[in-house]
Amino acid sequence: MSLAWSMVRHRFAAFAGTCVAVALGVALIAGAVTLWASSRPQAPERYDAAPVLVHSPSVGKGSDGYTDYRSWTAGEADDLAARLAQVPGVTRAVPDPVFYAQQLETAQPAQAAQRGEDAQQLKTEETKGHSWSSATLGGYRLTAGRAPARTKEVVSHQPPGTRIEVLTARGPETWTVTGTTDGPGLYVTDSDARKRAGGVRVIGLTGRPDVDRVRAVLQERGPDGGQVGDHGDAAPGGAGAIADRAGLEDEEITRTRWLGAQLIIAMVVLGAFVAVFVIASTCALSAAQRQREIGLLRAVGATPGQVRRLMYAETAVVATLGGLLGVPVGALLAPLLAEPMVAAGLEPAGFEATVQPLVLAGSFGLGIVVALLGAAAAARRSSRVPALEALRDAAAERRAMTWPRGVAGALSGLAGAALTAALPALPLTTQTTAALGAAMLLLVAAALLAPVVIVPLVRVLTRPWRTTATGMLVREGTLTGVRRVASTAAPVLLTVGFTVLLTGSIATINESTGLDETAKLPVSHVAAPDGTPGISEAVAARQPGEAPLPSEVVLTLNGTTAAYEATGETDVTGAVLSDRIAHRPAAVEVTFADGETVRLRVTGTHDGPAELITLPRAQVREHDPDALTDHILLTGPAVPGPGLKVLTSHDYVQELIEEEDGIVRVFLLVLITLTAGWTALAVANTLLMATAARRDEFRALRLAGGGTVHALRVAGAEALLAVAAGTVLGGGVALVTLLGMRRAVEAEVGQSVDLQIPWTQATAVVLTCAVIAVAATSIPILRRRPT
Amino acid sequence: MSITQLRTAVELRAVTRVYDAGTAVTALDAVDLAIPPATFTAVMGPSGSGKSTLLRCAAGLDRATSGDVIIDGVAVGSLSERALTRLRRERVGFVFQAFNLIPALSAEQNVALPLRLAGKRPAPGQVAAMLAEVGLADRAGHRPSELSGGQQQRVALARALVSRPAVLFADEPTGALDTKASREVLRLLRLAVDRHSQTIVMVTHDPYAAAHADQVVFLADGRLAGRLAAPSHATEIAVRMAELEER
Ligand SMILES: Nc1ncnc2c1ncn2[C@@H]1O[C@H](COP(=O)(O)OP(=O)(O)OP(=O)(O)O)[C@@H](O)[C@H]1O
Ligand SMILES: [Mg+2]
Repeated sequence: MSLAWSMVRHRFAAFAGTCVAVALGVALIAGAVTLWASSRPQAPERYDAAPVLVHSPSVGKGSDGYTDYRSWTAGEADDLAARLAQVPGVTRAVPDPVFYAQQLETAQPAQAAQRGEDAQQLKTEETKGHSWSSATLGGYRLTAGRAPARTKEVVSHQPPGTRIEVLTARGPETWTVTGTTDGPGLYVTDSDARKRAGGVRVIGLTGRPDVDRVRAVLQERGPDGGQVGDHGDAAPGGAGAIADRAGLEDEEITRTRWLGAQLIIAMVVLGAFVAVFVIASTCALSAAQRQREIGLLRAVGATPGQVRRLMYAETAVVATLGGLLGVPVGALLAPLLAEPMVAAGLEPAGFEATVQPLVLAGSFGLGIVVALLGAAAAARRSSRVPALEALRDAAAERRAMTWPRGVAGALSGLAGAALTAALPALPLTTQTTAALGAAMLLLVAAALLAPVVIVPLVRVLTRPWRTTATGMLVREGTLTGVRRVASTAAPVLLTVGFTVLLTGSIATINESTGLDETAKLPVSHVAAPDGTPGISEAVAARQPGEAPLPSEVVLTLNGTTAAYEATGETDVTGAVLSDRIAHRPAAVEVTFADGETVRLRVTGTHDGPAELITLPRAQVREHDPDALTDHILLTGPAVPGPGLKVLTSHDYVQELIEEEDGIVRVFLLVLITLTAGWTALAVANTLLMATAARRDEFRALRLAGGGTVHALRVAGAEALLAVAAGTVLGGGVALVTLLGMRRAVEAEVGQSVDLQIPWTQATAVVLTCAVIAVAATSIPILRRRPT
Repeated sequence: MSITQLRTAVELRAVTRVYDAGTAVTALDAVDLAIPPATFTAVMGPSGSGKSTLLRCAAGLDRATSGDVIIDGVAVGSLSERALTRLRRERVGFVFQAFNLIPALSAEQNVALPLRLAGKRPAPGQVAAMLAEVGLADRAGHRPSELSGGQQQRVALARALVSRPAVLFADEPTGALDTKASREVLRLLRLAVDRHSQTIVMVTHDPYAAAHADQVVFLADGRLAGRLAAPSHATEIAVRMAELEER
């Protein structure tokens, strides 16, 4: 629409705020989603030479939403591999047992770098041992020496003849390198690998396997086979499945990726919310300033629909410009962010952002949709401007508080309050999201209802100065320009609200976690892994105190088969189930990590979650040779050993918290910088717009004998009033949500928790807003030469 | 007289307009007025007598509290906002004292605006001819801020006349102009009546401006206070005005 284009071109200053908000929003979303889309799970490089991978049968989806699998027993794996090797096109069918094996003196990092491998891949791969035959799945070859022939012989990247110290689940061992390979990790004989691994879950096929025939083999072998499907068609009951390659990714890498995705989701949600909010308040202000022009359009024959369409068209034009700016910025930003994301532990090492045309197009479109949403209220309001408005001498402000605004504000406030009140009743996993949602609703409500609060607030705050000329002008100016003040206060409200809420809630939760965990530990000292994923059996056996052995088992209870987190304990004689399971049978069939199924008597109950089961330690060890103890509650002095450190209970808990804390801090920093930066921009923008539009008012003030200083004082004081209003409202909302959160946390922990209010951060944010506000009002006044 | 001339271009029947701002102000009190087509009517009266209110009601910009307004044979009172907008777009033109033009648009675009809003494509040369008629053919591409006040009013006149409305309403169109610019605008108004049989209703304070009209209607305290047909000279009007203001 050329009319819209002319409007935008002519008064670009009034649209600049929307344009920048859209540009930033699009850049952010394009960048963040590009990172997310680039971060696709991948099968480990070790499987690169195996076009088809067969996975052991699934047992359905667990409560975490991931598919659980059971292992093949040794016999099953060998049978199936032999059968699969006969399928046309298959060169070799290789079972792939994996076990924990960490070299104590890690190889020179330079060597790793030379091979062009990324650090984390190397690190996780270097804690892994494999069977020598599985090297063929990655296309790795022997570059020197010979294959391992007996126990304690190994192929690695070191020269033949080297003796290496290795930590395995059994304990420290000394191995001899017999051959050198270009593959990552350690390779032992097939039978040794089979004995050390917890079970086989993958069979790799090399050559050019006929996928249909592979599938047929898996089907024909009936319930105990494996599963087929290039993309993981997890048909339970088959002999196995052709694995979804991405699903074979290392769990640790998947978790890192998941964390990154959480930050990205938070960024996108917050970004879109702030964008709509900022655009809505800029559009509202600009529409209020253009009432006369709109009245004229109505007078010369524009229907309300045409006015509305014009406003939308203008916004679309501006959003398109913003999008065109934002998309390239986002595309350039993503690769730059990749490295910090890796450094913060939010993406796996070697992660690279790739260009995602679909994501870029999507963010562009989303930018326009978001802008139109933001403009909707202003457009509706403008379309109701009567033609008569064109005849008004000055653009006198219409009522700031309209009933739709009041109703919307009240509804959103009620919804937010209800959500806050319901927090303790919600499941733990959704509480954080719900709290953030509640805060957003309350912030919207506060922004909508701001005019109601601003009037009395202004009266109270300006009381001491009511007899001075400046005091009077500020007071009357703000009281007649309530909408303008509300528009300026809105971004301040958002910044203060989010900062106080985010920092405050994290501090409160941390406070409570410390209390919670320490209270659970009955001993003064804890032995924990030191630079290893767990404590080996030999080292654990020497320590005084229970060394629980975690493993995963599959259990059929009340007709449903699912994976359970098992803990092996010495003083247990049978299966101990959660007391939350309603119908506990007298005995259960437990399928262990090695695929063997054992019938166990149910001997007791524990008060933990339903998916935990306690089993006799010896039995867990027998069926999961690869299991590692993750901590030992010491009842006496610890015996030193490789991969072991001793901590006080307090330090141990602190270490657990800090591990998460580091990432949480990154989250906070990113999210607060994001909202604060963005809203600072909005504050500056609304004030620049508002002051520029009051040119005539300030000119009149000069004619009446006031100097520039006077104008500055009036405008500056009004800006500070807006900041004060925003602070009061934003702080209030944050406080309400924080109190709601504390109630939820207290209900969870079962004891009272101190509310942590981040005074420093709050003060810093408010001061920043105030400085920006005063600067943004002063600049247009100072720049204009007296006319 | 032909049949068409028998019909009135605008008719007000017992129109009352009460403003309700704290205390009720009766700006128009049962006014009856008929404007014949192809005539130039001036509305005069003391400040606050309800001239602007009369104009707004007659033009369909504002709705009467009671009574009927008939524009070009259509009763305005029963029309929906949409229909009223369409009526304004198609049969009514306006020129206000100031702020007649959209600052973002060039003179040419401003003139074409009513046609464009009606979804019509201006006929080739139509807008240019209109601008030429008001003597601004060479200013087509200029923005309002690049034009003098008089030129802006002439663009506004072109815009109001481009859709050949049944009536042109003007509220003190020369109020903000100097003598020379005023004369030019008044000359153009007179020309529109004489050459194109345009009907014009103009509110003014200026007896000299009113002298260009075919009839002068006087208003005082929201009521009609007399009429002067075919005024020959401004002094005649000025005398009547002085009488009204003294009352
Ligand atoms: N929007 C309004 N709200 C309340 N009262 C109004 C409004 N507009 C006009 N009035 C009142 O109605 C009366 C008539 O006003 P109107 O503007 O029609 O006078 P006018 O004859 O055009 O005066 P002037 O010559 O000064 O322009 C005045 O008393 C005025 O105060
Ligand atoms: Mg008037």
